[in-house]
Amino acid sequence: MTATLRPPEAPVAPVDLAPAKRRRTRFPAIGWIGLAIVAVFAVLALAAPWLSPYRVIELSGDPIDGPSAQHLLGTNGVGQDVLSQLLSGARVSMFVALVAGGGTLLIGASLGMVAGWAGGTTDALLMRVVDLVLVIPKVPLLIVIATYAGPGLTVLCVIIALTSWPPTARVVRSQVLSLRRRAHVKAAVGFGGNSAQILRRHILPEVGLILIAGLVGAAGRAITFEAGLAFLGLGDPTRASWGAILRDAIDFGGLFYTDAWKWWLVPPIVAVSLLLLGVTFLGVGLEQRINPRLARHTSRLGRRPARP
Amino acid sequence: MATDVIDRRAAPRPDQGPHLPQAGRGGRRFATMALRSIGLYALTMLAVVVVVFALPRAMPGDPLLALEDPDNSLYLSDPAVREQVRAYYGLDKSLVEQFRSYVGNLARGEFGFSIARKAPVGHLIKLHLPWTLLLMGVSLAVASVLSFMAGVAATWRRGRAGDRWLMIGMTFFRAIPEYALAAVLLIVFAVVFPVFPLAGARTPFNQYGGLERWADIGRHLVLPASALTLSLLGTKFLLVRNTMISTLGQDYMVLARAKGLPDRLLKYRHAGRNALLPFLTVVGIQAGFAVGGSVFVESVFAYPGMGTLILRAVEARDYPVLEATFLVLAFVVLAVNLLLELVYARVDPRVGAE
Repeated sequence: MTATLRPPEAPVAPVDLAPAKRRRTRFPAIGWIGLAIVAVFAVLALAAPWLSPYRVIELSGDPIDGPSAQHLLGTNGVGQDVLSQLLSGARVSMFVALVAGGGTLLIGASLGMVAGWAGGTTDALLMRVVDLVLVIPKVPLLIVIATYAGPGLTVLCVIIALTSWPPTARVVRSQVLSLRRRAHVKAAVGFGGNSAQILRRHILPEVGLILIAGLVGAAGRAITFEAGLAFLGLGDPTRASWGAILRDAIDFGGLFYTDAWKWWLVPPIVAVSLLLLGVTFLGVGLEQRINPRLARHTSRLGRRPARP
Repeated sequence: MATDVIDRRAAPRPDQGPHLPQAGRGGRRFATMALRSIGLYALTMLAVVVVVFALPRAMPGDPLLALEDPDNSLYLSDPAVREQVRAYYGLDKSLVEQFRSYVGNLARGEFGFSIARKAPVGHLIKLHLPWTLLLMGVSLAVASVLSFMAGVAATWRRGRAGDRWLMIGMTFFRAIPEYALAAVLLIVFAVVFPVFPLAGARTPFNQYGGLERWADIGRHLVLPASALTLSLLGTKFLLVRNTMISTLGQDYMVLARAKGLPDRLLKYRHAGRNALLPFLTVVGIQAGFAVGGSVFVESVFAYPGMGTLILRAVEARDYPVLEATFLVLAFVVLAVNLLLELVYARVDPRVGAE
């Protein structure tokens, strides 16, 4: 459906004989901040079984009891420890980030590489499918599929991966298209290397950084969607996802007539926002590292007189 | 959120001059192009319908399995009666025939019956859709205007403090999911400072008439629309800023400046106009995100649109309602995209000329 609006493909450039230029871009500060945030959450998720004061479902105190020495973040509507639930939620989010994000990357990168390398009808067909999936509203689609597929975290990850790959495929495809014109790839083709080999030996290493950025982006979206689906009541009922905690809190009658929202509603919001900010910062950092032009517009060189 | 929406179509094209509308050219090309777009969108809608049709049929089991189970309250002992029930639901026919009657029903606006809500699904949609369209429409419009102005402003101050703060703010709102934003707005402006109502779209049992009624609806709309607007801002802002920056060094910009044109004209007439076309495409893409966002935002504020309908349907595993909401929302998004594509082709002379 976008066929007519696409800018014409760049004309085939003459073979680039110069060796690939080493880009001397530092990994920007924003990326380090993001990495630090994500790392903290990863450690919390890994250490959750030892850090949690109670088991997730354990009724360890009175309902909606404020923060105390026994319950650092108070208890929820049925008397479960909010801190333990939050830590469990971190595990859920990290699992989703890795599994759903990784799955998205796997599907997207494979299809993108195939499309970019094969070209012709395969490419055109795959890109039509990408356009098609991109224009269908994602959240209602996920909701319908998730209700039919039934609850379960792994199932959810599979669904998210199956519907999220198009943007990754598109980015990888365009990168492969530009790599195809490079001298060393042309040489490999000339020496009669087979496609699978060339893709693995020459293309894959060059798209490495883009794949990492793709993973970060996919992971962020996966976390958002999983928490969102859990918030709508489509999560795994056996685990305390941040979305599910949010849903329980908002559904609790009279939440706002007590102070319970301060320790029950606010923490999951802060947690999911903070983790996603970390992921986004990491993504922005990687983007600037890959495409220094973006960084130039935002930082040092931008201080030239602003007027053209 | 929504980091993937910067479409290839929307990539800045630095080599283009200012856009001059050329009326009366390429009328036939436009017609061909329009027909092709309509065909492709119709095909996409068909794919959506096929997915919805195939999903329940791909699941293991049989919807009428309960009839054969002696322990079930729906058990029918007579195989002939069972066959009758099967025939009533059309499950004895071939998949092709089932699909044909399914599409026929959809075309007549018959989405089935919601047992949980004891109402025809079409009726439920008619009740809820207007609220979602209102919320989406207002948010998309406000977000478009704000992000465009912010993008232009940031370009003019690029590299300076104002630009940097805008960038940080927009990245912030782009990262945080709609439901979290909505919950924060709810806490701050409805609980801590009770300026706006907690939930709903209207004051229940009110006797308002005329202007008061609209003011009431507006007051209830402020928080949900703000949450959705904020989550839509970031992507468009980044796009406008990137496109504008790439136009700044162009010859025609230098010429315009040399002519001594005032800043306002430079910003909006010359540079802004070029950013407008990719912007239009992104508005279309964002219609899809706005649909998803409004589902989340509505379920935080119990706003009586499609989101709340979906939320209740999920609780009751009300499949007909969930399918219908997906079909209708997909239709809305596809229609908006098609419309924008046609407008785009009409406005951009290069599309017809390809």
